[in-house]
Amino acid sequence: MKPPATPAPAAPDHIIGGLDPRHQLTVLTRRRDDQDDEAPHRPLEWGLVRRLWGYAGVLRTKRNALVALTIVRSIQLPALTWILSAAIAGPVADHDTRLLFWLAAAYAGLALVTEGMFHFRMRYAQELGETVVHRLRVELFANIQRQPMAFFHRTKLGRVLGRVTSDVEALRTAIQDVFFVSIVQFGQMAVAAGLMLWLDPVMFLVVLGLAPVIWKLNLHFRDRISHQARAATESFSRVTATLVESVNGIRVTQGFVREGLNTGFFRSLLADHSRHNTNLARSSAILQPMLELNNQFFIAALLLLGGWRTFEGNMEAADVIKFFFFAGLFFHPLTVIGNQYNQALVAMAGAERVFRLIDLKPEWEDAPDAADLPDPRRGNSAPGVPPVTERASVPLGSPSRAPLSGLRVEFDRVTFSYEPGRPVLRDVSFTAEPGQTVALVGHTGSGKSSIINLATKFYLADAGSGAVRLDGHEIRALSGRSIHRQLGLVTQQNFLFGGTVLENLRFARPEATEDEVRAAARELDCLDVLEALPRGLHTEVGERGGGISLGQRQLVCFTRAFLADPRLVILDEATSAIDALTEARLQTALATLVRGRTSLVVAHRLSTIRRADLILVLDQGAIVERGSHDALLAAAGPYARLHAQFTSGGAPHA
Amino acid sequence: MNKPTPVPSPTDWQLVRRLFGLAWRYRLQCLQVISLQLVLLALGIAGLAATGLGIDYVRHVSAGPGPDGVAVVPLPHVAFLPDPPAGWRPMHVLGAIAAGILACAALRAWLNYAYAVAVNLLVQQRLVVDLRGEVYAKLQRLDFRFYDANTTGSIITRVTGDVQNVRMFLDQVLIPSLIMGVSLAIYVVYMASLSPALTIACLATTPLLAIGSVVFSKRIQPRYAANRTLVERVVQHFTESLQGVQVIKAFGREAEDRAAFTARNDEVLEQQRGVFWRVSLFSPAIGLLTRVNLLVLIGFGGWLVIQGKLPLGAGLVVFAGLLEQFSGQVNQVATIVNSVQQSLVASRRVFEILDAPVAVTDKPDAAPRAVVTGSVCFEGVSFGYSGADAPVLHDIHLEIPPGRCVAILGATGAGKSALMSLVPRFFDPHAGRVLIDGVDARDFRVADLRRGIGIVFQESFLFSNTISANLAFGAPDATREQIERAARIAQAHDFITALPQGYDTVLGEGGNTLSGGQRQRLALARALVHEPAILLLDDPTAAIDAQTEHEIFAALENAISGRTTFIVAHRVSTLRRADLIVVLENGRIVQRGTHDQLLHQPGPYRRVAALQLVDARELDESDARPAPRPASPEKEAA
Repeated sequence: MKPPATPAPAAPDHIIGGLDPRHQLTVLTRRRDDQDDEAPHRPLEWGLVRRLWGYAGVLRTKRNALVALTIVRSIQLPALTWILSAAIAGPVADHDTRLLFWLAAAYAGLALVTEGMFHFRMRYAQELGETVVHRLRVELFANIQRQPMAFFHRTKLGRVLGRVTSDVEALRTAIQDVFFVSIVQFGQMAVAAGLMLWLDPVMFLVVLGLAPVIWKLNLHFRDRISHQARAATESFSRVTATLVESVNGIRVTQGFVREGLNTGFFRSLLADHSRHNTNLARSSAILQPMLELNNQFFIAALLLLGGWRTFEGNMEAADVIKFFFFAGLFFHPLTVIGNQYNQALVAMAGAERVFRLIDLKPEWEDAPDAADLPDPRRGNSAPGVPPVTERASVPLGSPSRAPLSGLRVEFDRVTFSYEPGRPVLRDVSFTAEPGQTVALVGHTGSGKSSIINLATKFYLADAGSGAVRLDGHEIRALSGRSIHRQLGLVTQQNFLFGGTVLENLRFARPEATEDEVRAAARELDCLDVLEALPRGLHTEVGERGGGISLGQRQLVCFTRAFLADPRLVILDEATSAIDALTEARLQTALATLVRGRTSLVVAHRLSTIRRADLILVLDQGAIVERGSHDALLAAAGPYARLHAQFTSGGAPHA
Repeated sequence: MNKPTPVPSPTDWQLVRRLFGLAWRYRLQCLQVISLQLVLLALGIAGLAATGLGIDYVRHVSAGPGPDGVAVVPLPHVAFLPDPPAGWRPMHVLGAIAAGILACAALRAWLNYAYAVAVNLLVQQRLVVDLRGEVYAKLQRLDFRFYDANTTGSIITRVTGDVQNVRMFLDQVLIPSLIMGVSLAIYVVYMASLSPALTIACLATTPLLAIGSVVFSKRIQPRYAANRTLVERVVQHFTESLQGVQVIKAFGREAEDRAAFTARNDEVLEQQRGVFWRVSLFSPAIGLLTRVNLLVLIGFGGWLVIQGKLPLGAGLVVFAGLLEQFSGQVNQVATIVNSVQQSLVASRRVFEILDAPVAVTDKPDAAPRAVVTGSVCFEGVSFGYSGADAPVLHDIHLEIPPGRCVAILGATGAGKSALMSLVPRFFDPHAGRVLIDGVDARDFRVADLRRGIGIVFQESFLFSNTISANLAFGAPDATREQIERAARIAQAHDFITALPQGYDTVLGEGGNTLSGGQRQRLALARALVHEPAILLLDDPTAAIDAQTEHEIFAALENAISGRTTFIVAHRVSTLRRADLIVVLENGRIVQRGTHDQLLHQPGPYRRVAALQLVDARELDESDARPAPRPASPEKEAA
C-alpha cells in the first residue's frame, strides 16, 4: 500500500479508522514530495567536460600518459584477437606447425606487453580519479565555509552533503572510467570494423546492420531501468524514513501500544518497495538475455550467410572463423559504451551541481578595505599592522595578562529583515557599554536572535537601515574575522564537535596546553564537574553528546568561550530547565565568564536577567521597554507582566 | 561495549547452521532457482557445440573430398546427433544447425529471464521482506535500554544493510556454490571428453587463479574497510562543520577547520594509493593468466588439431568457449568467500536483535482488565536497569489516591524517569510491587495497562503525519469528535483549526513546523484521546522557553483534573501545583510534602526554590540571592 500523497477529503462527521483498513490513522508516516527534485541526468555539455578535464590537470603528465595508454590499448586488444583467430583459421586449419609456433610466440609477447601497460593504465586512472575527488571536496568545503550564516540557515544539510558524496563520486567515475573506457571501446570498435571491412565488406554490412538494433535496445532498457531504479530508491527512502521515525519515536509507540499496527504498516511499505524492486529486476532481466540473444542471432546469421558464400566460392572458410571473433569485438563495446554514456549523463548532472556550489558567490563579504577591529589589549590599532592571526597567547589567569576590557556595542536605529518586506527588527537602538551585561527578553520571534546575528556580523543589515558599531567602528568597515577573534559564543544547542572534551575546549585556543585548559576550568569553578566525567577531560562527546548531561555540556561551552578570552560574550541560554545543582554551578560560571567583558544574553532564566545591567524587552522586532530589573518592575509594564509569569508560572491575570 | 543483552555471542559455526536453517525455509524456491540454472548451463553448452559443428561443417563441405575420396576435413562425430538425411543439400544442414543455435539462444534468453525473476522473487520479495518485517516487529518490542545503548544509525543499518547482507548468504553464497560445483564438474567432464590432455594443460592455471583471487581479496578487504572508515570520517567532519558552522565562525577557526578537513582528505588519498597499486597489480596478473590459458589453447590445442586429434570447430572452438565459462565460474570463488564473511558479520547483528529477550511480557493467564480508578501504589519498590549496575531506585514507598497529582523533583540520574517507567511496565521492579487499582501491575496485560495510561515524554516526538493521525496515535479507531475533545482539553484546538488544513495538516519531520509549546500541547492531546485514568508527564515544559511556558499551564491543569498524575518537573512554577511533591536523590525519596510545607523546611527543595524564585515574597530576604555552591550538597540534602 502506498501512503496517499494528499490528505483524504474529510467529511465533518466522518468516522475515522475502523471501517477503512487503509485509513490514514493507521499509517505511521507520510512523506511529502519535496524530498528530491534534483535531476538525475543532464545532457553532455562541452563547458562542463572541459572544466572537468582541467581539474584532471593537477596530474597533467599522468593524464596525458593515460590518453596515450588507452589509445595503444584500443589497438592491442583487437591485435590479440586477430592473432588468435589468425592462428586458428590459418596454421591450425592448414596444419602449419612452424607458423603456429611463431603466432603463439607473438601472442605471448603481445599479451605480456598489453597486461604490463594495463597496470599503469589502471593505476593512473584511479589516482587521477581520487586526486580530482580530493580537490573537488576541498574546494567545495572552502567555498561553503565562505558563505555567510544565511546560507546555512537556508540550506538543508542533506543537499550539501549530496554534493561531497554522491555527486563527487559520479565525477570520479566520469574522470577515471567513462572517458578512458570510451576511448578503448571506440578504438576497439574502429579497429574491428576496419579489419572486417578489409576481410569481407559484404559480411561487414550484415554486422553493421545489427549494431543499431543493439544500440537502441540498450538505450531503451537503460532508460526504463533508470526510471525504475529511481522509483525503487524512492520507495526505499520511504522505508528508511519510517524506520528512522520508528526508532526515534519508540517510546511513544510503546507507551501508546502501537507496536502491532506499526509493524503492519511497515510490512506494507516493504511490500511496496519489493514491488518496485521486482519491476526493476524484470527490466534488467530482459535486457541482458536480449543482448545475448542478439549475439546468438548474429552467429546463426553469420553461419548461414558465411556458409552460403563459402559454398558459392565467394569467401574463404578461414574468414568465416575470423568473423566470429571480430564480431564479438565489434558488438561488445556497444553495450559498454551505452553504460558509460549513461554514467556520463549522471556525471554531467553532478558536475553542474558541484560546480554551481564551488562557484557560488557569497551574498556579501567583508569589504576589500575592511580593517581589523583593534584589540586594545594588544595595541595593534595602528594602520598597516599585519592582520590579526592569533589570539594573545598569554596564559589565562596569569598576572601578566592585560586587564580585561569589554567591547562597546552600539545599535543605531537598526532595521533588519531576512526576507524583503518582513522586518524582524524595527528601528532598534541601544548601547552596551564596555563590561556591561545586556539581557534580551521577549517571546519567540521577537528579534532577540537577530540582534545577536547582527552584533556578531553573522548577518549584515542593508546599507542605509541603521548602523551597528563596535568600539565606535561601523561594523561594515571591520573584518568579520577580527570581530570573531574577540568573541566568545555559547549557543542554545551547546554544540560540541565529535572528539574529547579537551579537544572541544581547545577549539577556542588550539595552542592552549592541557594545564592551561584546566586552569581556565578551575577559574570558572567547574573543573571538578568536568573531571567527574567518565574519562575526565578525555571523555568522548559526539553528535548527541552521549554520556554527558545538558548541564555538563553547557559548562563545557562556557569554558570554551572563556578560553577564547573574548571581549564580547554572546550567550543564547538553553530553554531547558536543568537540575538544581548544576544550575547553581552554571550561574557561578556565568558570573565569572562575563566579568569584565561586554555580554549580550538571550535570557531564559530569571537569575540571569536580574543580574543584567540593561534589560531590553523586545516585541515584534521593537524594543518596548528598557532599564534595570528593579526599574522595570516598578514601571509595571510588559516586563513586570513577563516577570509575573516567570515567578508564578500561571496566567498573569489569574 | 554496549551489548544490550547478556546473550553469549554465537560462534561462526552456529551462525552458519542458523543461516542454513533460514535457507531451508525457502528450499523449494532455492531448488527452482538451481534447476533453472542447470538447464541454462546445458543449453549454453548445446549452443556452443552447435556453433562448433557449424564451423566444421562449412570447412568440411568447402574443402570437399580429397584426392583419395576421403574428406579433407572430416565431420566430427557428435553424440546423440543423427547424420543428416541423405537428400539434404549442405545449405539445409547449415540451416538446421543455425536453427538449433537460435532455438537454444531463444530458450536460454527466456530461461535467463525466468531465472533472474525467480531469484528476485526469492530474495527480495520473500526473504528480505520476511526478515526485515521480523526484525522490525522485534525492534518495536525491545525495551528502551536497547535504544539508549545503540545509535539510531546502527539500529537502522540492522534493518536495512545488515538484512541485505544476511540474504547474501542465500543468493551469493549457498546457491552460487551449489551451481558452481555442478557446473565446474560438467565443464570438466565435457572438456575431458574432447581432449583429456588439453583439459589438463588448460586447467593447470586454475588453482593459481582461485588461490590468487582468494589471497588477494583477503589482503585487499581490510584496506577497503580502512578506506570506508576514512571516507566516513571525511563525511562526518563535513557534517559537523556544517552543523557547528556558527561555532566555527564565532571563534574564527575557519582556517584550522579547513586544514583539518584537507588533512582528512589527504589521509584518504594517501591510503588509496596503496590500494590502487595493489589492485593494478592484481587485475593485469589475472588477465595475464587468462591469456596464458588462451596461449596454451592455440599452441597445444592447435598442435592437437594439426595432429588430427581434435576437430577444429567442435573441438578447439568449443573448448575455447568452455574455458571462458569455466574461468568465469572460478573467478566467483573470491566473491563467495567475501560474501560468507559479510553475511556472518551481518547475521550476528541481525540475530542479536531477533534473540534479544523481551523483558516485560504478559502472564500466560492474565485476564483482560481495564484500569478504572487509577490509584497507584509503590510498595517497597527497588529497581536497576541491569543486575550488575547499582540499583536506580531503593525501597520506594509511595501511595497516590485516584485523581491526585504527584510531582517529582531530582537531579539527572536520581531515578525520576525510572520511577515513572515502572507504572506502564516499561520495566518491572526487582523487588516490591507496583499496584494499579490495587492490583499488581504484572497481573495486567501490558496492552490493557498502557491503554489506561497517557504519557507525555520529555521530547514531544510527533510523527510526520497529519495532526489527527498523530493525536489518534494511541487510539486509531477514535472518532473526530474524540480527537477534537482531547485537543480542546489540551488547548490545542484553536491553533490547529487556525492552520490552513486544520486537523489534516501534515507535520514536517519531527513536527518542526510548530512551536515548542504547540508541539507539547499536541503531545498532551495525544495522551488524552483514549481517556486514560493515569497521566505520566515527563518534564513537559523542558523544551519550552520560560516566556511561553505559561501557554501550556492552563492545558496541563485541564488535563490533570480527574486523573492520577505523575509529573517530573524542574521549575517551581510547575511543582507548586501538585498535591504532593517528592524529591528524589540517588534513587531514594529524601523529601515529600506540599510546596508550602517543603518551602519552610531546609533541604533540596528550598534550595531549588531559592534559585528560581529569587524575589518571590514567600522567601526570606537572606535566601533570595543564589547561594554559592554548598560545600557538600549531598550531606545537606540527607
